[in-house]
Amino acid sequence: MNEREATMKRYTLFILLAFLALTGRAQETVEKWFEQANAAYNAGNYDSAVRLYEDILTYDVESAPLYYNMGNAYYKKRDYPMAIYCYEKALKIDPSDDDARTNLEMANLAIVDKIEPVPQSFLVKGWNGMRNWLSGDQWAYVSIVAFALLLVAVGLFLRSGRMGMRKLGFFGGIVMLIVFGLSVLFAAQFRKASLTEDQAIVMTPTVTVKSSPNTSSVDLFVLHEGTKVDLLDEADGWSKIKIANGSIGWLQTDFILPF
Amino acid sequence: MKKLFKLIVFLVCVAPMALWAQDDPTLKVSAKQQVMVGERFQVVFEANAEGKHFTAPSFEGFDVMGGPFTSSSSSVQIVNGSVSRTVKNTYTFALQASQEGTFRIGSASLTVKGDKITSQPFEIKVVPDDGSHAAPSGGGNNRQQGQSQNTSDPQVSGKDLFLKVIPSKKTVYVGEQVVLTYKLYTKVPISSLSVERVPSYAGFWTKDITDNNGGALRQSSEYVNGTEYTTAEIQRVIIVPQRAGNLTLDPMTISCVAQIRTQSNNRQSNDPFDIFFNDPFFNRNITNIHKELSSNSLTIEVKNLPDNGKPASFAGAVGNYNFKSDIDKTQLKTNEAFTLTLTVSGTGNIELLKMPEPVFPPDFEVYDPKIVTSTNNTVNGMSGTKKAEYLVIPRRAGSFDLSPVEFSFFNVGNNSYSTLTSEAYTIEVEKGSGKESDEGGIYTTNQEGIKYLGSDIRHINTGDPHLKPTKTVFFASPAYFVALLALLVIFIILLLVLKKREQLSQDTAVNRNRKADKVARGRLKNAYQFLKAKDQEKFYVELSQALWGYIADKLGIERSKLSMDTVSETMKEKNVPEELTQQFVDTLNSCEFARFAPGSAEEKMDDLYQRGIDVISKAEKVL
Repeated sequence: MNEREATMKRYTLFILLAFLALTGRAQETVEKWFEQANAAYNAGNYDSAVRLYEDILTYDVESAPLYYNMGNAYYKKRDYPMAIYCYEKALKIDPSDDDARTNLEMANLAIVDKIEPVPQSFLVKGWNGMRNWLSGDQWAYVSIVAFALLLVAVGLFLRSGRMGMRKLGFFGGIVMLIVFGLSVLFAAQFRKASLTEDQAIVMTPTVTVKSSPNTSSVDLFVLHEGTKVDLLDEADGWSKIKIANGSIGWLQTDFILPF
Repeated sequence: MKKLFKLIVFLVCVAPMALWAQDDPTLKVSAKQQVMVGERFQVVFEANAEGKHFTAPSFEGFDVMGGPFTSSSSSVQIVNGSVSRTVKNTYTFALQASQEGTFRIGSASLTVKGDKITSQPFEIKVVPDDGSHAAPSGGGNNRQQGQSQNTSDPQVSGKDLFLKVIPSKKTVYVGEQVVLTYKLYTKVPISSLSVERVPSYAGFWTKDITDNNGGALRQSSEYVNGTEYTTAEIQRVIIVPQRAGNLTLDPMTISCVAQIRTQSNNRQSNDPFDIFFNDPFFNRNITNIHKELSSNSLTIEVKNLPDNGKPASFAGAVGNYNFKSDIDKTQLKTNEAFTLTLTVSGTGNIELLKMPEPVFPPDFEVYDPKIVTSTNNTVNGMSGTKKAEYLVIPRRAGSFDLSPVEFSFFNVGNNSYSTLTSEAYTIEVEKGSGKESDEGGIYTTNQEGIKYLGSDIRHINTGDPHLKPTKTVFFASPAYFVALLALLVIFIILLLVLKKREQLSQDTAVNRNRKADKVARGRLKNAYQFLKAKDQEKFYVELSQALWGYIADKLGIERSKLSMDTVSETMKEKNVPEELTQQFVDTLNSCEFARFAPGSAEEKMDDLYQRGIDVISKAEKVL
């Protein structure tokens, strides 16, 4: 048992070191760029701020604050579709970011399309609301902590000589099991969302949504730049989309930017 | 019937007039036989009947200045009952001779009652100019017609009399003022001066600053090319260009009458009337000549103001200015007024100057400023002061900062922009007494919602960006599983370690206490076996050890100190009920007794065994 544990420890350490070595050096330069971009934004040079933020993305790194700042820079450039895209990206990483949500609402006021969303049931709302308390990574950390506490509770239950502590262990264990299960579910949802691109922003000023994936089909409705759509399916350069009011149609994938 | 009667009366009365009055219609022409080059004259065609379709001849060799001007008159005469009617229609042309020679003017034609009548063609001789034609032949005193052949005819040449426009500058910036002076230069006396045409000044803002001292022109003398002229300022205008480029000013035209002293005599004239009227007694040798004078045209080069270094507060002021601000009080109570005065003074276009506007805190009530302009126009242009007085009433108590006001202008002197800044003030507003504010009746309550002045997105995040590689999710990653597994492993290890430590410390008092029941039960089990086997000795040994061992472990008494007394004492200390203590001690005694006095009945063994179990379970509940 002792030997196995040591192996496991060595393995963890190795992974951590490899991770740091890969990102550590780039991290430093990139963070300097982030500061420069922020300085450019503060000075009102929104074009150069956007360029610097985009440069950071070329290092294959991302974060909610980065997308949020980028969205602000685009907003100030009056490029609202890109601003909306960035805010949505930031919220996808960290849905608890209140600033990003507020600015996204501001940006959505500046676009052409105003779509009444289909009302959600209170269960879905409650579930999503709870999920959006924390980001995906934070839920993963919560699940680890809950697991640790669960083990502590089990330990108490098994080993404590005193009745009170055993009771505490029992009920605490049940609570921790629920917390662990929920956090694993939430984290799994976030993982799925961030590894697949299931939403998109319309980037072309005016797009006609068709009834089927070819140009000769019936025109269903018209969307304008900055509108968010859900991606349902894809075929031959066409995407099946659903807008917030539930309408479904097809449009060419070139016209949208998925995230 | 009535109508018919009227018609008859009309015919009887009127018709004879038309019948009798008409002579043969003719078209006569009258004009001068001889004119000078440049002279204006009239050609008049006269018809004695009403006609239509007048056709004028071509006036070859002449410029038609105007016409035909038509006029008609008619008269009716009744002499001794006979009625005659005269009609006169004239067609007048104004011509000007443009070149020397003899020119034939063709016949004009007119259609009268279907017949075409024509005028006689005639000839006009155009003779060379003698210099006096500029005055149209209108003046009653004008004598030049009779003197046209006179070599000593008085004339006024361009050298004797001319109008000149003098700009103060010919190259200026947009908004910079230029003073134009129109000056008349003359060597001859002048009278009845009048301005005929004023330039249009397209592209300029203008202000006439002619010094009109009681109607008299300011006169002085000046030497031009060694000749002394008397000069008079006709007009002085400030012009301010409003756009860049080469702007051309039209000439100004004035008309005047030059009074010329003629040569003493004019003997060559054969006309007795001329001799008579040229006599010094009548004419005093003064000839009035009408002249029209035009100033030279002028082009002014207007440059754009440089973009380089243009301050944000620049609003078009060009010149040289001072700027100051003044406030009457900085400590006051709410609803009292104070006055902020901004003053710009200096040289430049004060009238068009845009005053800088101060920014007041939102809680101040500000009235539209009272703007007072006073200008002083001199030869150097316009100067003066412009004041803007702001009446301000603070409605809230507090300390307010009035940020300084900036005023920028383009300084023509050194071709650069200057920015002047007024003072910054801090206004201390005390709360007026509540009574005052009630009397004012303006505010009944001091509560109001927050005023949102604008909306904007929230500011960027300037903290740690927390960057991480794209598309990495901690959940379900190897690190995540490793963390969970590590926790599990640590947990298992901890459990094992705990178990081992427990075994090692089994003899400790706590352990003994915990294990006492178990150990006692184990011994009782053995005793039961011996009971069944009817092995009395071994049974009593086991039972006694079970009881002694149990009570020693439970009460934490060392084996060496174990006795009946210590047991009952310790039990008393631990507040064990007296009854239980007695029962335990009795059971112990019976057991010891039976052990050392063998041969007792089986029933006794069984009874003792039951008592042992009973006392241990009772003690377990209490201890």
